[in-house]
Amino acid sequence: MTLTAQEFAFISGLVRRDAAIVLETGKEYLVEARLLPLARQSGLPTVSEFVIKAQQRPEPETYRKIVDALTTNETSWFRDGEPFAALTHTVLPDLIPNRSNNRSLRIWSAACSSGQEPYTISMVLHEAMPAGWSYEILATDISTEMLGRAESGMFSQLEINRGLPATMLVRHFERNGANWRVAPSLQKPITFKRLNLAQPLPPMAQFDVVFLRNVLIYFDVETKRAVLQRVINLLKPDGWMFLGAAETTIGVDDRFERVSTGRSSAYRLKAGSSSAPVRAQEKG
Amino acid sequence: MRAMVIDDSRAMRLILKRIAGQLGFEVSEAANGREAIDQLAAMDTPPELALVDWNMPEMNGLEFVIAVRADPKYKQMTLMMVTTEGEQGQIVRALAAGAHEYVIKPFTPDAIVEKLALLGLVPNGAAA
Amino acid sequence: MNVHPGPTEEDLQTIAEQVWASYLDPDGSSPLILLPPEKPSREVSASVSMTGAWRGHVVIWTSATASRHAAAALLGVELEDVTVEDVTDGLGELANIIGGNVKSLVIGPTALSLPHVLISGESGYPQVVEVCKLAGIWRDEPITISVLQSAERAGRAG
Repeated sequence: MTLTAQEFAFISGLVRRDAAIVLETGKEYLVEARLLPLARQSGLPTVSEFVIKAQQRPEPETYRKIVDALTTNETSWFRDGEPFAALTHTVLPDLIPNRSNNRSLRIWSAACSSGQEPYTISMVLHEAMPAGWSYEILATDISTEMLGRAESGMFSQLEINRGLPATMLVRHFERNGANWRVAPSLQKPITFKRLNLAQPLPPMAQFDVVFLRNVLIYFDVETKRAVLQRVINLLKPDGWMFLGAAETTIGVDDRFERVSTGRSSAYRLKAGSSSAPVRAQEKG
Repeated sequence: MRAMVIDDSRAMRLILKRIAGQLGFEVSEAANGREAIDQLAAMDTPPELALVDWNMPEMNGLEFVIAVRADPKYKQMTLMMVTTEGEQGQIVRALAAGAHEYVIKPFTPDAIVEKLALLGLVPNGAAA
Repeated sequence: MNVHPGPTEEDLQTIAEQVWASYLDPDGSSPLILLPPEKPSREVSASVSMTGAWRGHVVIWTSATASRHAAAALLGVELEDVTVEDVTDGLGELANIIGGNVKSLVIGPTALSLPHVLISGESGYPQVVEVCKLAGIWRDEPITISVLQSAERAGRAG
């Protein structure tokens, strides 16, 4: 056992912040076992050295790998439930009247991980969009491994048990041996691409909705601001943004306003801010 | 809130009782659909939730779901099947018969909790 | 002899991984290690049988010690409090879950029997062909999961 109490506390803090997983003392062996492969990959002989390095040189990608290693199979579908209800009941009714020209929506899932988020968005839109409308989803992540998994559309039985309504399962998935595969009709509107949010992004058409959930927490305040600026550049002036349940733009970027949507909230650019349109009518 | 766990396996009843108990449910048990129906008949008000296995002697889970959904007395019950039956056709049958949710064994406790949360049966903040 | 294609070892691995992650190794500290044990044990066996379009058995063979650990984990009791009934119920449910998942992979319609658990002596299955097998070590104890198909003459209706 090489991990010190401080190193273990650092790791538990990291995992608690994102995945809301609690690693009590006593679970040090678990951290050792799960992080050893990562340490080896980094060319370090012990987990302790790996964690020290992670603390000294904070790198979002490393943090992501750490959290993934400790939370395998933890990703849920309608994660937190609410954002997807908000998409159906608040966001779509707001956007659809203003998109009747091209009758299509562009969505960005900006930290798509193993794919549950973009496929959930696709399921929701597939069912909620009016007839004759179309949608496209850009699903990006920094990890090529995750993108590969997401693009395959294959999920284990344990994964599809997690927060996916059974009616959605039978409607949008098919058994494939011991696993389940997402329906091609759900995959078709999704494009998977590798992107690093902490770096300048390639030029892209703007989006109607951006999902930026549980990724800002890995960055320091400056990088958070830079990432939000990149998102603002790619968000239509009347577009919407979703963050993770425990996240907020407050203190980071005051061009967003928070809108309560049932039990959660969504963000949009403030009316009157230089990037926002003058709204003719505000909904009550 | 009250829940009934219906499974012919004592081990599975214990597992589900633990999970539901930790969420604050008062849990009763039955070893098959027939026992469960009899217990329900003797109650003043039915439990809010039933976790139902499929393959059981006397009356299986599908038959239990059909019977409960046919009786207006049990309109408020949420029926979640918890079973090894994992073929697509079986899930469709269960949902068509009136089951509200479906969990395939093996499941982690989170799987049950999250599905209950989607059904509005978990008080805020109680999810594991 | 006409043996239908059945589940593969990889399928068994997937099923076992999920069963362990759900009930026997939820925090990753005691995984099933997929190395053939030096001394396989048949002290305890738990099996389910299948009839219908596919006929055969799914059998778990393991040591008495491992069966007690499994029962303790499943039933949520301390190891020293595990009773014979606990082992029967716990291992039986494991066989039921693994067998049920195998059932989803074989040709249907097929029905699953109640589990049979034998705590002493060896169980035998006459006239079967082993379709696939998973041999491993859990908590330093041997454990084997076998899918056995009944050997049938070609042409016999299911």
